[in-house]
Amino acid sequence: MNGEFKLTRCEDVAPLLVFYACDELTAEEREQILAHLAICQECRTQLSEEDALQTAIERMPQAADQFESSGVLLAQCRSELSESLDELSAPKVDEGWQPFSWMRRWMALRPGWSAVALLLVGAIVGTQAYTWLPIETRNGSGPGLKVLADSTLTKDQLESMQVAGINSSRSTGKIQIQLNAEQPMTLSSDENDADVRRVLTFVITNGDRFNAGVRLDCVEALRAAANNEQARNALLAAARGDENPAVRLRALDALRDLASMPAVRDTLLETLQHDSNPGVRVEAINLLVRALESGSEMPEMAPEAPDSDVPAPDAAPQGWPGSSRESEQRILRALDELRQHDSNRYVRLRSAAALRQIAQQDMQ
Amino acid sequence: MPLFRWGLALAGNSGRSGGSAAALATVTSLPNLDERALVSEAQGGNRAAFEELVRRYDRDVLRLALNLMKRPEDARDVYQEAFLKVYRNLHRFRFECSFYTWLYRIVTNVCLDHLRRRQARPEDQAPEIHPNRMEEGPRDFFDYQKEHRPTLDPERTLIGKEIQWRISRAMERLSPRERVVFEMKHYQGLKLRAIGDALGTTEETVKNSLFRATRKLRNELAGLR
Repeated sequence: MNGEFKLTRCEDVAPLLVFYACDELTAEEREQILAHLAICQECRTQLSEEDALQTAIERMPQAADQFESSGVLLAQCRSELSESLDELSAPKVDEGWQPFSWMRRWMALRPGWSAVALLLVGAIVGTQAYTWLPIETRNGSGPGLKVLADSTLTKDQLESMQVAGINSSRSTGKIQIQLNAEQPMTLSSDENDADVRRVLTFVITNGDRFNAGVRLDCVEALRAAANNEQARNALLAAARGDENPAVRLRALDALRDLASMPAVRDTLLETLQHDSNPGVRVEAINLLVRALESGSEMPEMAPEAPDSDVPAPDAAPQGWPGSSRESEQRILRALDELRQHDSNRYVRLRSAAALRQIAQQDMQ
Repeated sequence: MPLFRWGLALAGNSGRSGGSAAALATVTSLPNLDERALVSEAQGGNRAAFEELVRRYDRDVLRLALNLMKRPEDARDVYQEAFLKVYRNLHRFRFECSFYTWLYRIVTNVCLDHLRRRQARPEDQAPEIHPNRMEEGPRDFFDYQKEHRPTLDPERTLIGKEIQWRISRAMERLSPRERVVFEMKHYQGLKLRAIGDALGTTEETVKNSLFRATRKLRNELAGLR
């Protein structure tokens, strides 16, 4: 309090009497108030009332005395606090991050609704996911690596199997093979399927075990896969050695677009010179002439299958005209030989026509 | 229980008993520690030191809570909440005031929160206890205080009860802050400066609260005129 301010008036003293009664004034304030009380009856009366109030307040029974006289409540409070501290001190169980925990809780509590929700989600994904895929992915026409599964057929299964039927569609490329083995099975895929290709080539290269009709179907089914070395070798083997001329003829036809390849050309020449069937020899003549006609520029290769394990670069044709003049001379000699000495008149005539055709082309 | 589980259980028990022995050794010396050392121990994670602090002050805390809340269950809630707050925030205590003051600041804040919530929900008010009330007379309350031996006069005994009831009722009409200040001043015996420290306010503000509270009580009791 400002030392110069004197508590002499009642309006200044009266508000302080409550603090005077409860001993919250400074010594200086008390002294001034005492001096004022000595001369002011009204303030003395008010102070006595403040004192009376203080006394009454002090006499008031306390809730604490009423409720806590026995100490039971305090003991209870301590016990509860101790338990709470134990909980706080206990290491928390680290459950880690649990994504969708709310969903799992919801589903666990509502199994019926969960089943319905899962069915709906499955139906929507099943019916709509196809439309969400990129068009290239859907059509399978986009660039990408096609990974094929390994063959699952064992050698024993191949050797013991019997082919009951083969259906192939050139338009769709789908092939279905029905096999009678210890356990009958049906392979349904395309020529790029390892199992399908393995069965087809096995049938062709082991022709003595299968009838001509089956072999013929196999050759037809492998036509689309002629660019594949395995398939091509099987076709070449069929063209050279199958006992049935129809199979040989079909094999040559399957190789018609690959006549510029050395291996195919050699097979055509061999067929031309040694095949017993005139029809097959004529077909060989036709394919060689065709190759020579279109061979001023290198015959186009059919597009390589993406999974093709071959042809390796060194197996690619070196170009029909420049590959070997000697090869061309061999063809001409073989045709001339047929023209003069073949037992079949039609073969002789066709060989003569082929030589004229080649000569005209050379003159042009 | 599988054998290895028994082993684990025994290992856990032995570890716990070892910890208890160490804690026991600490506890024996804890009561001799001063407040600052105890607080430092508790801040370092010594649970026994914290419990010793609790035992030193929790009677006063519970008494304050009971007098303010008037209901044992509410006082119990205040006790729990206040000491758990102290436990969680003990690391923030920087010895800028006494631990006692800091503790009372927390306790009074918790009490104020409870009182304010109760004030916002009048239906939660504690049922009032009505002593044997007498018909209100026209006499002045302060006249009754002149007789200092009311037990000698049955009439004055009844009037004394009436006064107590009036004070109780008047106390319930104080604001939470006025009530806390009044309680701490008259029943905890704290000086206004200490109350200001506990409430985180100035002595002058506390003085004003006490003055308003006393005026309200006087007005209530003046009805006895």
